[in-house]
Amino acid sequence: MEILTGNELISGAAVYLDGHGVWVEDLQSARLYAKDEAVARDEALAASKATGRVVSLEIEEVEQVDGVIVPKRLRERIRAAGPTAPLSLNGQAYERQHLGEDGHVSIR
Amino acid sequence: MYRYDEFDAAFVAGRTAQFADQVKRRLSGELSEDQFRPLRLMNGLYLQLHAYMLRVAVPYGTLSSRQMRKLAHIARTYDRGYGHFTTRQNIQYNWPKLSDIPAVLEELASVEMHAIQTSGNCIRNVTTDQFAGAAADEIIDPRPIAEILRQWSSLHPEFSYLPRKFKIAITGSPNDRAAIRFHDIGLQAAVNGAGEIGWEVWVGGGLGRTPMIAKLLNSFVPNEHLLAYLESIMRVYNRYGRRDNKYKARIKILVHEEGLESIKGQVEAEFAEVRGGVLTLPQEEVDRISAYFAPPAFADRSGDSVDIAYQSIIDPAYGRWLDNNLHPHVQSGYASVTISLKPVGGAPGDATDAQMDVVADLAERYSYDELRVTHEQNLVLPHVAIADLRAVFDVLVAHDLAEGNNNLITDMICCPGLDFCALANARSIPIAQEISRKFADPVRQKEIGDLKIKISGCINACGHHHVGHIGLLGVEKKGGELYQITLGGDATESASVGKIIGPGFEAEEVPNAIEKLVDFYISQRQGEEETFLVAYRRLGEAPFKEALYG
Repeated sequence: MEILTGNELISGAAVYLDGHGVWVEDLQSARLYAKDEAVARDEALAASKATGRVVSLEIEEVEQVDGVIVPKRLRERIRAAGPTAPLSLNGQAYERQHLGEDGHVSIR
Repeated sequence: MYRYDEFDAAFVAGRTAQFADQVKRRLSGELSEDQFRPLRLMNGLYLQLHAYMLRVAVPYGTLSSRQMRKLAHIARTYDRGYGHFTTRQNIQYNWPKLSDIPAVLEELASVEMHAIQTSGNCIRNVTTDQFAGAAADEIIDPRPIAEILRQWSSLHPEFSYLPRKFKIAITGSPNDRAAIRFHDIGLQAAVNGAGEIGWEVWVGGGLGRTPMIAKLLNSFVPNEHLLAYLESIMRVYNRYGRRDNKYKARIKILVHEEGLESIKGQVEAEFAEVRGGVLTLPQEEVDRISAYFAPPAFADRSGDSVDIAYQSIIDPAYGRWLDNNLHPHVQSGYASVTISLKPVGGAPGDATDAQMDVVADLAERYSYDELRVTHEQNLVLPHVAIADLRAVFDVLVAHDLAEGNNNLITDMICCPGLDFCALANARSIPIAQEISRKFADPVRQKEIGDLKIKISGCINACGHHHVGHIGLLGVEKKGGELYQITLGGDATESASVGKIIGPGFEAEEVPNAIEKLVDFYISQRQGEEETFLVAYRRLGEAPFKEALYG
């Protein structure tokens, strides 16, 4: 299975295309594309690129483990969850970047 | 400290305004990402895994307190309260928003800083010895020449689109603390038979997927002809450097494939054309620039001293700090102080906004308003009176900056790795943190002595793993991380490239693997004075491999 991912323009936050054609922060809301949905996937990719609001667009391979979407690549798991370094200088875990008020973008 | 003249100020202000307009047009949709990407990279703005990353140049690693406070302010206001000091004497912000970048660049310009040429196929930030202008062993302060190189290379129209990025390092000391043999061009101060000071010119060094030690191209180039000579090298590289394959585009490949003598012949031919022309450096201009770097008016503290052995007994932490983190100063009664950005369990090179402010305050009060950034991801107060060391230490303790581990096993270079970097294949910071915890005991660190571990999360070698006494390279294997160990690397005047010793290790196995190597070294060394590197060179690879793999 595959998902579409990218980085939101203003924040640079990792975002995922959901089933409603909206780019969201939550990996678990990502739309899953089966292998035979390549046409729909590529159309969504092209439409997203046309908006110019999501950059570094990529198709990522994922699997579902007990109903949870898990990217196959470690890189993508880190993108989804944030840096893994256990502690920051302030003793708090690093967070991932989040979208601002105008960060959410639809391709519809 | 160099101060911008009207040309510097106008050029940075102009560029800042230009980029602000480009950001505005990108956000409005007038510019596409394909159009915008090269523009943002020309201003040091990358897009990484989680966010944008802004790389800011610290020219030749020198900062004033005012500039450091501005870096802290930017971290606090536009980022997440910290910055990351890198191996090229830059600072990187990991979490800025695109819409804030114009404001950040304006803030930087207000203290004579910028992010221009911190990316792209151009001449990057010129780096140098962190103790420049202060070191007891120095032949000459290299910073005036570094500043002249900055002015020459900034927006140089001929060298803005080179075959690949181009890095120059310069040292004024016979003891190389700037890794000049691992740069595209390395300059080292030299004295000729007439007692004149000039420059050895080394060319074709570098790390990355094809690590190479630079070769000596010219053993003495006088100051007045240095720009013409460097321009000649750049022209030969620009003309013949490969543009068909980015992995073979660096000057090290050109020198390797063409041969040093062939390159030298072409450089000399070019030099014969340009020598004595507009690139001749007038002595009065060298003097004018040098005046900005004149030593401070040191108070006479020649009678001051500190008994490190005594302090080590009554206050071991202070003793360790004195023992490891001071560097001999040219002025009697003073020392250069390394401020470690490698606390146990920390991310090497990271400093909070509060820490940056504290260091700025210390520099203002105790170091004639000067600071340095080291290529080993630490900070330096270059001119501290011996009598003030205790006061400085006490402030550092209060802000988690007093680790007395300079040049010890926990003083690691470490790239951001897969936790941040879009190019990385494996993580680096968590590995450094675990090694740091494994060897946290300061008594154990002292027993081990000088040992440099350097960690890279990919073959691009931002963590300088090739020149670590123990190097770690993270690679991707079957979707997971694996760490190759190299031994015997050295970035100094006795330069060498480390060799891969055997199969890689899983992340959780790395600290124990390092411990095996360290234990073997201690069991085999000929006294405490024989460092890990010297022992490795004496014993060779085989027994270390046996100790590691059995």
